[in-house]
Formats: sequence, structure tokens, C-alpha cells
Amino acid sequence: MNRLIEKATMMFCWMSIGLLLGAGILILGYLLVKGLGAVNLKLIFGGTIPLDALLFKKPVFDGLFPAILGTLALVVLSVSLAVPIGISTGIYLAEYAGPYTKKIFNLFFDILAGIPSIVIGLFGFSLALFLHKHYSKNVQPCLLISGLALAFLVLPYIIRTTQVTLESLPSFVRVTGLALGATKLQNILFVLLPKSFSGIISGVILAIGRCAEDTAVIMLTGVVAMAGIPKSLLAKYEALPFYIYYISSQYKDTQELMTGYGASIILLLLCLLLFSIAFVLKRQLTYLALYRA
Amino acid sequence: MKMRVFLAMVFGVFLTVGGYDIVSAEPLDMFKGEKGAVRIAGGTAHIPVMKEVAKRIMTVNPAIQISIAGGGSGVGIKQVGEGLIDIGNTGREPTEAEIKNFSLKVFKWAIDGVGVVVNPGNPVRSLTKSQVKDIFAGIIDNWKQVGGIDKPINIYTREDASGTREVFWEKGLDKGEIAKKANVVVSNGAMKSAISQDPYAIGYVSVGHIDHTVAPVAMDGVVPTIQTVKEGQFKVSRGLYSCTKGEPTGLTKKFIDYLFTPEGQKIVQSNGFITVK
Amino acid sequence: MRFQEAIAEKGFSLCALLSGAVTVTVFAFMVILGFPLIREGQAFTLLIKPWIPGSGFYGIYPMIVATLAIASLGVAIAFPISLGCASMVSVLGPRPVSLIVRRVVELMTGIPTVIYGFVGIFLLVPVVRNLFGQGSGMCILTASLMLAILVSPTMILFFSDSFNRVPQSYLAAIDALGGSKVQKLYHVIIPCARNGMLIGLMLALGRAIGDTLIALMLAGNATGVPGSLLDSARTLTAHIAIVIAADYESLEFKSIFLCGMVLYLFTTFVTIGIRFVGVREGGKKA
Repeated sequence: MNRLIEKATMMFCWMSIGLLLGAGILILGYLLVKGLGAVNLKLIFGGTIPLDALLFKKPVFDGLFPAILGTLALVVLSVSLAVPIGISTGIYLAEYAGPYTKKIFNLFFDILAGIPSIVIGLFGFSLALFLHKHYSKNVQPCLLISGLALAFLVLPYIIRTTQVTLESLPSFVRVTGLALGATKLQNILFVLLPKSFSGIISGVILAIGRCAEDTAVIMLTGVVAMAGIPKSLLAKYEALPFYIYYISSQYKDTQELMTGYGASIILLLLCLLLFSIAFVLKRQLTYLALYRA
Repeated sequence: MKMRVFLAMVFGVFLTVGGYDIVSAEPLDMFKGEKGAVRIAGGTAHIPVMKEVAKRIMTVNPAIQISIAGGGSGVGIKQVGEGLIDIGNTGREPTEAEIKNFSLKVFKWAIDGVGVVVNPGNPVRSLTKSQVKDIFAGIIDNWKQVGGIDKPINIYTREDASGTREVFWEKGLDKGEIAKKANVVVSNGAMKSAISQDPYAIGYVSVGHIDHTVAPVAMDGVVPTIQTVKEGQFKVSRGLYSCTKGEPTGLTKKFIDYLFTPEGQKIVQSNGFITVK
Repeated sequence: MRFQEAIAEKGFSLCALLSGAVTVTVFAFMVILGFPLIREGQAFTLLIKPWIPGSGFYGIYPMIVATLAIASLGVAIAFPISLGCASMVSVLGPRPVSLIVRRVVELMTGIPTVIYGFVGIFLLVPVVRNLFGQGSGMCILTASLMLAILVSPTMILFFSDSFNRVPQSYLAAIDALGGSKVQKLYHVIIPCARNGMLIGLMLALGRAIGDTLIALMLAGNATGVPGSLLDSARTLTAHIAIVIAADYESLEFKSIFLCGMVLYLFTTFVTIGIRFVGVREGGKKA
């Protein structure tokens, strides 16, 4: 092969790496340089004393505390809705479904996974409208609807990781329990699920990360610019990614912009932490699967 | 029901304690002891005032939850009409049809204008109305054609649901066309940020929002300031309205009443608008 | 005992049905709520008309053009870069470089989209504006560049995995013949991983079509059909986010359900396409 082509290829690959890493470092570096100075207690609690705010005695204005709580509430709500259904579906697909059923369901969940997040948000909004008209006047785009919509968003992740983890368990693990006289259900609950724990958890953590960072879904289903800490499931709320979007498009002065940078750093750290944990768990799983089998 | 009983009791206490005129008592007191939520959405020009009022109310009584969203005047009217929110803010007067369809009660608590703005670094500070119309229609597309530097003009406009846009289109552009290639931003705040970042930008924003980050452009010799709007010289003026579905009651009524108290009007003034009282 | 088993199985299958139902219900809602448009026969014309609500035109043609333009340009920019990086990570690179790059890329997949948009507004937009001397900097090009950075990490990891799945025997054969790493790349790995790469490309395209925040924050959101890369444009996704604020009895509002339908169909076709390619690869391997 031509020396020239070899050299050109190597150069091209090095350039690509340079470009990508350069872009990544530029983005992260810019945020850190601009925003690290802004990350302090005042950013989170505004003018209120932290202890008062944490004990909910006094409301927090001009601080990220309500947005952080809102994001937390969202994550807890959507994950607790998605995990039971997702894991059960994954178990069904891995253990009980016939090949034809499996193929159809897999297609459905692939489609679900591919739906843009704003379409899911639109669905959540229409659901809220529908319930508002036909069920109860109290229903409006709110924390509950957002949690539901986010659950729909992350359902495919959980289903897929549960299914893949269960299916990749080596056959001797599956067979041993049954040989000792356990029923299918007992086998699943006491042998297979504990063995798949780290894989399923990595899927759950991925889902948590996705819920924390998503903006399009919550924009359509109830997040607002100012609402205080979330007081009820049927109320509007604030969230961190929406705060960042809102500030970026309309900031009154440099100080407000700084809070945007600070919020970005907090969100970034949160998501990077979650994704790193998920990756580490996935690696452990691959190690176990490849070297223990 | 409980709310009404409580209101009656409060009123009774005021009367017996000496016949105080409600307006001259400390206005925020009417929120003490209340519970509940007020949902506000709509015009983005109103947001600074809404935020300040909400902050004061929630500081006096943390049990009240006030949520504020933007979205534009269209959102305000429609959502309050549907009962999804309690107070809908609009920057344009609701049409007859809207008032009838949604049984709206309209409260005007400030006077504002919509002025053309450019980046502070732009030397062009005065345009004739026909120049403004041509610029926004895309016919004049370079700053040098109106006395500026030789650079293309970047037009910024608002989304379709915006009351600010409606008023500017009607009174400022005489219902002229806005070029389809104009960048669209979704609030007054966003317009200001966009213009302050783009040296060759032109757009329009609520007069009350104009500050040092953007430079107002005189139209036919009249600079858009709160003074010229008040005196009627600057023609592109509008009121800031809050609408409710039917007569407001309870916490909603108190919120709106607060806007008309001297304290409330002072907040209106400090945010750059003209008071109505 | 039997009873418990039966209940458990029924319970699990119920969950599965529920989840599957969500997929269908999403599309159903789009259709039902956008129905007035379809009924009045406007649905097809809407796909080719411009967007002028003042004159009663609710066509989403400009948005379709913008979505396709930004998504394809973004993926087109990301493809060579991802290919280069993946080759370096899996085949050509010295061990330490390969490891570091892979770690960094894995980290980058966790960056939230809104952060890309946020940094893009302050970093990329002024650069594009000053570089080309025209336009506001918020245009198709800016959005595509940021989108490319967004989808590259996932594409790199996917390509890298496809490269790693090439059978050892092939690699051993090339080594035995004395081939260099680059020759291995061109003559064995890429041809073998071709299907995997196609799948990765399509996944990225699906992601690019469905992205909202980057287009909303960086592409300018103008309502006209974009004529050049430096024109401001509005994608289907950004359109939904902006118009959601409008009056919801109006046809204007119903047009966003049409957008939802179009997006759903786009991404479903991409998904089915991926399956098709995957099936072909499975058959070939055997």
C-alpha cells in the first residue's frame, strides 16, 4: 500500500482526535473557567440562610435551591414509575416471551427509544389536556405529568438493559436453580435477578441521568421559570436544565449569567457522575460475563 | 367557601378595629394567614413585576405558592380561559371575541410602549417610520443604507403568540410584513440578550425593559422612553393587562388588588413602566 | 404455588403490554389531535406549504427542510471525525492514547444537551458571525457544528465496538501476511464492520433529527425556508417548542401535532431501517 495513503490516514486520525478532544476540552474548560467562581452557597440559596432553606422554613429567591429540588423530585418520581414496569417488562421478554412476541415487542421498544424527546413531551402535554377536559379540572401540566412523560422516555433504557442482562447470563446459572427444584418464579427472583443486579442498576442509573438532564420533555409538561419548591404533585415546578436554558436566552445582567454558568457546572457534574458510575458498573458486568463464564 | 368566610372575618376585624380604610393599611397584610396557590402565565414584559410582587407575598407568607411562567400574551389568554391558570398576562388588549369566549375580566395596571432597539455599539440611533418598515420587511438590508457601517442587518422578531409583536406590527409597522428570514426569540428578555450580543442586530422590545444593554432608536424623531410614551409623543404604546376568567376571587383577587395599591404601583414604576394611578 | 406462577407471568406480561401500548398511544394521540387538519384534507398540502399564520398558512415545509438540513449536515460532519477517532481508538492508536481517548469520549456522552446549547450561544455563535461577516451567527451551520459534537461520542463508541467485533481469525490472517495496521483497517476491518457502521450512522441521524435544544438555541428559529447554510432556520422540534404557547383551538396549534407525526414517522423509519440492516448482517455472519 502507498506510503502516502498510510501517512495521510494516520494524520487524518490524529486530526480527528485533536478536533474532538479540542472541542470537548473547550466546552468543559470554558464552563469551568467562567463559572467556577460563581459556584458557592449564595448561588444555591440566594439571600436566605442555608439552614432555613433546607428546613423549608423560608422560601429561597434568586437561588438554585428550588430548581435543584425540582430536578430531584422529577428524577425520583419518574424513576419510581419506570423501574417497576421496565424491569417487569424486561423479565417478561427475557424469560417468558416466545420468539415471535419477543421480536414484535423489541421492535416496539426500539421505536419508543427512537422517538424524539419533544414528541414525548407533546404526548405528555396532550395527556394533560385530555385529562383536564374529561377527568378533572385540577389536572394541568405539572410535576406528575412531567414525571409520567419522563418515565415513558426512559422506559426503553430500563427494559433493554434488564432484558440484555438476563439473556446474557450463562446457562449454567439458569439451569442450576431449576435442577434443584425451584419454580420458574423462584428462580427468577432468587437467582437470576440478584446475578443481574449490577447490569440492571447501570440501566437505572442511565435513566436517572437522562431524567436529570432532559429539557424538551419538561418544557412542555409543566416546568416554569419561577415556582418555589415543589409543594404538590399537581403543581408547577422549577428544574435545573430549564433554568440554564431560560438564563441563556434572557439574562438581565452579568450576575444572572454567572448563575447560569454555575448551574451548568452543577448539572454537568451531576450527569457526569451518574454516567461514570453507570459505565463502571457496565464494565464490571462485561468482565464477569467474559471471564467468569 | 372557607376562603369567603375568612375574607368576611378579616374585613369584619378591620371594621371593628377602627374602620380602617383597606387601602391605607399595610397592603401585604391581606396575604397573612392565607393559604393556596396562584398560577400566573402569559406576557413576558410583565414578568419582572410579577416576580417582585410574588417575592414580597411569599416572604410575608411562605404558605402561599405563586408560580410564574412566560409564553407570550397568546398563552396568557388561552390558558386563563381554559382554567389552567389563575391570572393571564397580556401585552395587548384582548379582542372582543376573546373576552366573550372566555368571559375575561381585564385589569390594566401599567402603561408601556414598544420601541425599536439596536446594539449599543451601533451608531445608527434615528430612523424614519418608513425606514423601519422597510428594514423589517427586508427591503433595506444593509446598515450603510441608513447611515451605518457596511454590514448586513440582522433582524430579530418575536414569536407569533407575542403581544409585544402584535402591538409593534400594528402600530409600529402599520401591519407591514416582517421578513421571513428574521431570527425569532421568545421573550423580551431574550430579545435584549440577542441584540446586546449581535453588533448588527435590530429588534423591538418593551420600553420598560430598555436598559444600558440595548440602545433605543428614535422613530420619526421620537426616542422611545417612558416619558415620551406617557406624554403621548411616542405612538407605539400599549397597556400591561392581567386577565382572569370571570370576576377574580380569593387569593387571585388579592394579588390583582395589590397591583393597584401604592406599593404595587411603585413596583411597576421601578421596573420602568408607567403607573395607571 | 402454581397460582403464584400464573399470576406472576400474567403480571409481567401486563407490564410488557402497557409498555408496548405507550409506543402506539403516542402516535395515536398525534393523529387524533392533528385530525382536524387531516380531515380538511390539508395534511398533505401542509407538508409543502410555507408558514404564515397571519394569512392562514400553517405549512410546515420550512421546518421539514430545516430539520433535514441540520440533521444531515451534522451527521455528515460527525461521520469522518468519528471514523478517524474510532480507528485510532480500536486499531491504529498506541495503547495509552487509545485508552485516554476512549475514557474522554465515554465521559462526553454524559454531557447534557442544554450545556452544548448554552456554550454554543456564547462561544460558537460569535465565531461564526465574525468568520463569515454576514448573518447573526445563529444559523444552520452553527447548529450543525454543535450537533456534530453532540453525536460524535456515541458514534465513536459504536464504531469502535463494531471494529472490535471483527473476527480474530481475519485479523490474525492479515498479521500473518505482514499487513500494517492501516492496511488492516482499510482491507479487513472497515469492510467487515460496514453494517455496524451503517447502524451507528443511522442511530446518529435519528438522534440528530430528534434533538430540540441545540436547534432551538442555535439555529435562529426563522419561519422562512432556509436558502443557505448561513440562514436562520427552524426545525420541526424547535417549532413544537415555540408554538406550544399558542392558542390551542387554532389550526396553528394543531400543526404541531402534524410536526409530531412527521417526527415520529421519520424516526420510526430510521429504526426500522436499522433493524433491516442488522438482520442482513446477522444473516451474513452465519
